[in-house]
Amino acid sequence: MKTRRVAAAALVFSLFLADAHPALAHGFGPTYDIPIPLWLYLYGAAAAVVLAFIPLALFSRKERDAAYRYPRFDLFRVRPLRTLLTSRLLTGGLRLLSVALFFVVVIAGLVGLQSGFNIAPTFVWVTWLVGLSFFTALVGNLWPLVNPWKVIFDSAEGLLRRLGLRDGLELGAPYPEALGIWPAVGLYLVFVWTENVFSGSYAPRNIALFALAYTLITLYGMAFFGKETWLRLGEVFSVFFGLLGRFAPTEVRVKDPDVCLGCDYCDGEAGRCVNCYECFARATAAERELNLRPPAVGLALPERVPPGGAAFVIVVLAGVTFDGLLQTPLWLEIVRLTPITQTLGAILLPLLFFGIYLGFVELSRILGGGGEGGFRRFAAAYAFSLVPIAIAYQMAHYYTYLLIQGQMIISLVSDPLGWGWDLFGTADFEPRYGIVGAGVVWYSQVALIVVGHVLAVYLAHSISLRLLRDPVRAFRSQLPMLVLMVLYTITSLWILAQPIVK
Amino acid sequence: MARIVILIAVIVLILGGLFFVLRPDTPSGAPRDRSFDLNIEGGEMRPAEISVNEGDRVMLRVSTDKPIKFRMHGYDIEREVEPGRAAKLHFEADITGRFEIEDHESETELGVLQVRPR
Repeated sequence: MKTRRVAAAALVFSLFLADAHPALAHGFGPTYDIPIPLWLYLYGAAAAVVLAFIPLALFSRKERDAAYRYPRFDLFRVRPLRTLLTSRLLTGGLRLLSVALFFVVVIAGLVGLQSGFNIAPTFVWVTWLVGLSFFTALVGNLWPLVNPWKVIFDSAEGLLRRLGLRDGLELGAPYPEALGIWPAVGLYLVFVWTENVFSGSYAPRNIALFALAYTLITLYGMAFFGKETWLRLGEVFSVFFGLLGRFAPTEVRVKDPDVCLGCDYCDGEAGRCVNCYECFARATAAERELNLRPPAVGLALPERVPPGGAAFVIVVLAGVTFDGLLQTPLWLEIVRLTPITQTLGAILLPLLFFGIYLGFVELSRILGGGGEGGFRRFAAAYAFSLVPIAIAYQMAHYYTYLLIQGQMIISLVSDPLGWGWDLFGTADFEPRYGIVGAGVVWYSQVALIVVGHVLAVYLAHSISLRLLRDPVRAFRSQLPMLVLMVLYTITSLWILAQPIVK
Repeated sequence: MARIVILIAVIVLILGGLFFVLRPDTPSGAPRDRSFDLNIEGGEMRPAEISVNEGDRVMLRVSTDKPIKFRMHGYDIEREVEPGRAAKLHFEADITGRFEIEDHESETELGVLQVRPR
């Protein structure tokens, strides 16, 4: 406990130190997008309002919640796919690759060239953070398989067991239930701050040091509270990718309810063990399903949300918004005219978002005529409906960045340390610019945001039917939610339309 | 079902109509020849922003008060410029976007080139 307090104090201290030079804080590598023109911004906003009526109309006659009744197709039923996807070679290979990349980043950060060619910044900020986020949302969540900290912990534990230590590494200290997912919320805030505010966030050595510090926290958490508990509640990237994985068009599912006995998180009894990676890991091959499903439906599933679950979603949404907001003239004025600093902003914006969210949820509850479970249940349930807005904004904001800066990794894998190597013969690869023209970028950005908005409205309505069990009341309760969604969406569009400042 | 079809038809009409009303005329005429004088003094470039349309043939005359490595992202143009001898750069603005102009010697940002699509 003591060490933690010291670490926290050190962190807070470093926050204020680093904020002393907020001059060049944001981002890593330039983006080449032109802000969307005003007319397109207005058009996107209008489209968001008008298109929101489609999901409302779709639901007007539907009686009961159909959250679990969506079409799905078990990929394991296709024999060659099953053989491929469950082969030890593939899963083991991916885990090994992930751990190897983790060590490459740490080594490159510590001993590699500090300015210029170094794989650590590009890999961490572009390939991993942006690339894997997109993959998770658009394909499926690989993180529970490749999480390097989990792999390291597992192998250390396996080794200890072989040496005769029966109990393994887990101390199994009781996790305070009220703490819920708050550790992950806190760590995500620190992460957002590191990404956007900390001026040394792309210095290779800092990346290595952050990675090592986080390794300590994670291994300690897994050993102290138990691996599964910490991965679900404290390991911020497991929580983050898990959230994106709910949006994904694939899911893992366990057929046999017996596997889920004693699991606190899934509704195994009703055969509703969806994306519960712990149960999935315990299940035998015959009990597992890997399903294709429509995107975003995973966000409408009724689930027990741990305390802080809604806050995590809001922090993610505010985090991606903050990233864009920092580059607007408005933000520059705020920093100039008020005592708000970048660091304070990284804390205030999520609080503001959370306050607005809770206010609209309460309005929606009142208009819908109350409901069982009270305000807390509503606040927890509706949060997931905001995830498509966050994903859409993240994609609109970052996809050109991934396409252009992402190419850097091709040359960097050949010379990860900047020592003049050419391991794969690609060290001289020059990135190609102008893959997508600015016009295409504008239209795709607006389209992404509007689609995310429509999905969010759809999800909120589906959730309201589950909570209120009455179409008329659900419809009424959706008016404030609609306003909330439009508000968030217009904010996203507005940021994309702002002139970029440094 | 019919109600939803009608709703979608109405929405398509509204959004389609709005698109044509709001969408401005694209920059008219054929690509033009554009030339700019860029003065770099004390690490600051004037003008700091160059804005052209896609397809324009651009000529930059760069003068500086100390030796720099004038570098333009996206187009990957890099040229050493000495004080007292203006450098002339020609290129065709065929990549749209917003590109940094920097002094690669001191790694400072000088300004941006903005190429707007047609």
